[in-house]
Amino acid sequence: MKKLLLASVVSLFSISAFAEVAVIVNPSNSSALDANEIKRIYLGKSKKFADGVKVNPVNQDGNAVADEFNDKVVGKSSSQLNAYWSKLVFTGKGTPPEKRNNDQAVISFVAGNADAIGYIDSSKVTDSVKVVASF
Amino acid sequence: MKKLPLAIAACLALAANSANAEVRINGFASIVAGKSLDSEQTIYGYDDDISFKNESIFALQLSADLQESLTATAQIVARGSNDFDAEFEWAYLTYEFTDELQLSAGKMRVPFYRYSDFLDVGYAYRWVRPPETVYGLPFSTYEGLSLLYTSQIGDWDSTVQVIYGSSEASIDAISNEALDESELESIAGVNWSVSYDWFSARVAYLVAETTINVSSAEEGGAGFNSLVDTLVASGLSAQADELLIEEDDGAFFGIGFSIDYNDILFDTEYTQFEVKNSILAEQKQYYVSLGYRLDDVIVHVTYENDEDKHDASRYNQIASVPTLNAFFNGALDSSRDKAEVYTIGTRYDFHPSAALKVDYSHVKNNLAQTDVDVVSVAVDLVF
Repeated sequence: MKKLLLASVVSLFSISAFAEVAVIVNPSNSSALDANEIKRIYLGKSKKFADGVKVNPVNQDGNAVADEFNDKVVGKSSSQLNAYWSKLVFTGKGTPPEKRNNDQAVISFVAGNADAIGYIDSSKVTDSVKVVASF
Repeated sequence: MKKLPLAIAACLALAANSANAEVRINGFASIVAGKSLDSEQTIYGYDDDISFKNESIFALQLSADLQESLTATAQIVARGSNDFDAEFEWAYLTYEFTDELQLSAGKMRVPFYRYSDFLDVGYAYRWVRPPETVYGLPFSTYEGLSLLYTSQIGDWDSTVQVIYGSSEASIDAISNEALDESELESIAGVNWSVSYDWFSARVAYLVAETTINVSSAEEGGAGFNSLVDTLVASGLSAQADELLIEEDDGAFFGIGFSIDYNDILFDTEYTQFEVKNSILAEQKQYYVSLGYRLDDVIVHVTYENDEDKHDASRYNQIASVPTLNAFFNGALDSSRDKAEVYTIGTRYDFHPSAALKVDYSHVKNNLAQTDVDVVSVAVDLVF
């Protein structure tokens, strides 16, 4: 009886909370990445993977996954991120990651580019990409 | 508006010439309405009639990756204070030697302050305008080189910028209407910024050989020029040189730090500026600003302090001719200033790329013993 109760609590929780965000790279990429390194990549502070390959990050555009990722990994709201990037863009010091519309578009970009990194709803992960971290 | 089609044509030509050029278009805009609450005094360009034009600005940036590592960027800015005439304020090429080292050449902003580079991008900061007593230098852009070196020192990010160049502009050194012709030659500067997660600090030093030809179109400038002429005619060229701003050594120093910790925001900057042996008084100014972020709303208070004065040794250089001496002293005194500004304001991010701001400032002139209040409301966007 206890187990059943616990199970229903867990399932309730997972319905109300957003699913995990999975950070994905191309399957050929063997670099290990921690949360701080992923944050640095998405703030334009880190431009290479550990093996020296130039990193090619993609964002999602203003959806729930993007909000979740910005909050949990980058630690900034979308307004704060916009302000952060506007300081770099208008002074020639940096360019924000390109945006993709949804998980599917991120998966195809990452599957097709060896230097790519992206993030998606972890329930949408397929064999064509490799998960390096979940948040 | 004449210059805008030219700008677009130039950028399109750049893009078309380079087979794989990717052109990025970004922009920002601020619509600012402001009003002085005193019918007698103008402040930040506002009198007691509401103006939507004075501080409003529209800008478009075109950036083309020409080849691997080479980027061309142009920023076209239309200011309300300039009747929204579109002008190139930035136009430069950047070459990335490595991820850490890049060289830019062209027309860029002089990096005096922490917020210099994005001074026009209201969306990037919390005030309607950055603290004016510190950010009030009339010099804006220069033509030349900028070398930027970014690196990581342990957990700290470090950026060193070295610049060299020159600048010519019409500014308001003594005139009120930007009528004075300034020439900065051999501008050389270095600034270093470090940041660690919630803390960042910056220090800057610049020098330039400074010349400003004061316009006689207004009373103040006319008086200055006739005094200089009189001194020269009286055989007092050395004293005239003490007032003239002619190939004099200009030096700027700035230091500041800021904190963004647990939604508490703190910023402070101290700057000093001097053009040796000129009518321009040595300026020292600082601001301290505290803010608190509550989700999409920031509330903030800012205190600014400014004191511009000459060293006592500069006065009474013509003691033998009392009338001229009085005029000479009067000229030096005319560039003195002593002011304090108190600002309370709020920023509301009502949209992911737009913010609404309201600032209320109380400006105290401690020399003239006057004070004036000014209210401004701004909508800032980036796109």
